[in-house]
Amino acid sequence: MNCIEFAEKLHLTPLCEKDGEIEIEGVYIGDLLSIVMSKAKKNYAWITIQTHINIVAVAELLELACIIVVENMEVDDDTLLKAKELKIPVFKTSESAYQMACRIYELGIK
Amino acid sequence: MKEISMHILDITMNSIKADATLVEIKIEDSIKNNWLKITVTDNGRGMSEEVIERVTNPFFTTRTTRKVGLGLPMLKEACERCGGYLKIESELGKGTKVFCCFERDNIDRAPLGNVGETIMTIINSGNNVELIYIHKTDEGEFVFDTKEVKKILEGMDINDMNVLLWIKEYINENIKNLVNNQ
Repeated sequence: MNCIEFAEKLHLTPLCEKDGEIEIEGVYIGDLLSIVMSKAKKNYAWITIQTHINIVAVAELLELACIIVVENMEVDDDTLLKAKELKIPVFKTSESAYQMACRIYELGIK
Repeated sequence: MKEISMHILDITMNSIKADATLVEIKIEDSIKNNWLKITVTDNGRGMSEEVIERVTNPFFTTRTTRKVGLGLPMLKEACERCGGYLKIESELGKGTKVFCCFERDNIDRAPLGNVGETIMTIINSGNNVELIYIHKTDEGEFVFDTKEVKKILEGMDINDMNVLLWIKEYINENIKNLVNNQ
């Protein structure tokens, strides 16, 4: 499933979806960037409450499929600018990381 | 990073990569003032004004192996999240001082972590680096200096595993005593 289909099915709000064709191969949930850097893998969707520009650097480094910001956190402008420049899709939702995880599981991504 | 000591290790590794021969790590832990301050000072190559301005940008790195550098940006973000800030002073050819502070009682502040292990790792990874570690609380301070330890060792290698393990325990025990007296 690519990022655009994934976002549509989960009713995510797109903040930046420059490269929505990437196939999602897994999901990682975490807010501590150093741990995310060691655990998440290429083409994973990353669920977090972090909104700082550093999340784009982590996504770029790991070649993540997209970033999903949960709990309706306000994403910093410079984060979105950099995400657009690097074509990293960023989505937002009011749901919690747990609710997201449950719905993603129901989509068949395990 | 889940512990502040990991940030200290990261900054000190930057100092070692910048050819520092002397690094001073100072921790000021004050319940009275509600702050936790960390200062890492080295006598390495130093940085230009232009580089100082860019080192907290995660998309700036001096490495050639990857395109992002997250050490200082993550520390800056951690400080700011905890009501503190990060400041860098540097002069080319003279050295660099990285200063950061956290609100001590901020619920999002990471614990200090295993400082003894951090110091042990630093000593083990930088052969020619002399290290001074100062831990200060409201009640007193503890100073560890590799030059002094080398004198006591009388020629024995400071990188010997038994010595390193002793250093780790010695530092942690002294920090524990200081913290318990607060």
